[in-house]
Amino acid sequence: MKSLHVLLQRFADAGLEFVVVGGFAGVLHGSAYVTEDLDICAVISPENIAKLRTALVDLNPVHRMTHNKLSFLEHPSPGEKLANVYLETEAGIVDILGSVLGIGGYRELARNAIEVPLFGHPCRVISLEDLIKAKEAMGREKDLLTAKELRAIAAKRQGK
Amino acid sequence: MDNPDQAIEEARRAGIDLALLDSNLALSPEQRVLRHESARELMLALKEAGAAYEKSARPVAAVR
Repeated sequence: MKSLHVLLQRFADAGLEFVVVGGFAGVLHGSAYVTEDLDICAVISPENIAKLRTALVDLNPVHRMTHNKLSFLEHPSPGEKLANVYLETEAGIVDILGSVLGIGGYRELARNAIEVPLFGHPCRVISLEDLIKAKEAMGREKDLLTAKELRAIAAKRQGK
Repeated sequence: MDNPDQAIEEARRAGIDLALLDSNLALSPEQRVLRHESARELMLALKEAGAAYEKSARPVAAVR
């Protein structure tokens, strides 16, 4: 199994504009929670679908939520619109979200996103403040616990 | 952002390992990713082992 960060490198190489969100963004901010998947937010346009296909072509990407695990290389077909893309690949699970609850779409996220150097590429990551808002907006127990951890990280960054 | 002291206290009460956070914050983002990957690999290996054990243990349980 390849590492999740390999996917980030591939997305960057394919010229995709995205912001890392979710648990992996938490890890980049210092969270100790382990996440199985990678979540990114991007504009889900035909151009970006093409870039994602280029990035994932040899990783057997399939729509993990579909009954027959439809190939991402063939679906969506031209003209078909998706709000989010939930994929399983040979490098792990990756969800491409059109928007993040509590914050908005790619442009809103990009406004406050931070840029971190990651394996030779600058990588945009949701800001700690926005990630806390998003986790609290999700409202599930595990998200609220993560939000508490992220608030502690924010406090420690202030010297506590 | 709320009061930092309150945030630390709430995290402590929730059982969050604050020393582990200190350790993570001392790392670069790249190092955090690599540490996370090791933990993720271990988690997936344990899950796989657990599933294999469940599968092998099922017939024994059925006999009982």
